[in-house]
Amino acid sequence: MPLESNLIQIFFSHIKREFLINFRSLIDVISIISFMILIVTLFVLGIGPFEEKLKFVSNAIFWIGLILAIIPSLEKTLQRDYDDGWLDQTITSPLPLEFILLSKSIAYWLIIIVPLLISFPFFVILLNISFKLIPWLFISIIIGGLSISLIGIIGSALTLGAKRGNILLPILIIPLIIPILVFGIGISETITINESPKGNLFLLIGFTLIYLVISPFISALLIRIAVSR
Amino acid sequence: MFDWLANPNRFNRITRKLQPFILFIAIITLISGLYFGLYDSPKDYQQGDAVRIMYVHVPSAWLASFLYFSLAISCVFYLVWKHPLADLVSSSIAPIGALFSALTLITGSLWGKPMWGTWWVWDARLTSMLVLFFFYLGYILLSNAFERKIDGSKTASVLAIVGLINLPIVKFSVDWWNTLHQPASIIKIGGPSIDDKMLLPLILMFFALSFFSLYLIILNVKTKMIEKKCEALLLKSNLEEIS
Repeated sequence: MPLESNLIQIFFSHIKREFLINFRSLIDVISIISFMILIVTLFVLGIGPFEEKLKFVSNAIFWIGLILAIIPSLEKTLQRDYDDGWLDQTITSPLPLEFILLSKSIAYWLIIIVPLLISFPFFVILLNISFKLIPWLFISIIIGGLSISLIGIIGSALTLGAKRGNILLPILIIPLIIPILVFGIGISETITINESPKGNLFLLIGFTLIYLVISPFISALLIRIAVSR
Repeated sequence: MFDWLANPNRFNRITRKLQPFILFIAIITLISGLYFGLYDSPKDYQQGDAVRIMYVHVPSAWLASFLYFSLAISCVFYLVWKHPLADLVSSSIAPIGALFSALTLITGSLWGKPMWGTWWVWDARLTSMLVLFFFYLGYILLSNAFERKIDGSKTASVLAIVGLINLPIVKFSVDWWNTLHQPASIIKIGGPSIDDKMLLPLILMFFALSFFSLYLIILNVKTKMIEKKCEALLLKSNLEEIS
């Protein structure tokens, strides 16, 4: 069998494995959704129930809720594989580690995207998101989710085996994902003032592509450092 | 070439000769820069005497970004050539760079109070300097987060390189964000052209602060080398006791 078709098979089997691990219990999915709804509720409680105020900040609340909901689940993505020895096995296998990490981050992206897309209608109602914004917000969540998960894999690899990794991870990750927030909110803002959101969308895509290229290599380097100790 | 420089003994020998000169240049330029800056330079026609904060603020902002760049470069050297001296250099640069970015933020808000009326404005430059400070902080925290020192320095080196890739993007995105919200920029230091009488102390202070930070970095590296030597000696004596 030629190697390429093998690689594609391996790619899909990895994604399937991640799905099986993460969706075997629905608790993870429910907890991501309910965490995000609670963050939104806290924001609205803090701002006050005035519709004029909410209109200005609803995009920001949505994006910050998205980022904050993803971060807690990042820490255990690689830590679990590190603890049960799966990563050691993967390094000794002839497959390139970078490739496996790429499939892992894409699987992680699908895993976080599915619950968010399920809960998307709730947020449209809760935050009074305007109708013309919905398709653009949908696209920007999908692309932004990919770049968050690519950066998240780096962050997860950085804190492998670190003391207080769960506190350290957000400190390391949040400065890196500022551009996603800026471009993502830029898309929504340009829509609300009736301008073309293409500039921001292309910047978001470009940023994601940069990390699609460098993230597997960097996290593979980090995992080799972590496993060698 | 870098092998030649990276020998610890040679480093010690060269820096021992260079250190007094570096300190001398730093003190001379600091005194003359402060003289010209605080005494013999004109007041700004709008800002009055408060413009003199610039002579500390601007050089430390330059240094904060320059030191991050050199931190990341020495991290590259550490990861590629695995030379322990490069790690000592980067771990000694980090706290000094963090200090300069904190100094920039503090002097900036001290300058902002009389000029803009608030301590803090969410301007693009301020925000990106704050992010730079958190990059330094992340590096320092991560390099101390592991049981063994060497794991921390390897992992944190990778973080510094990721930061080097990401910082221009953050800077760009924050500029983009700011132009989206408020078209006119607030900060215009002395306008586009700066008077020669103001430029002279600015350059002098820049040299003073950079030579002083170079002096501190060399001192830091030497201290860390001695620490390592002590640890090695301690291990050796323990081994001898056991055997």
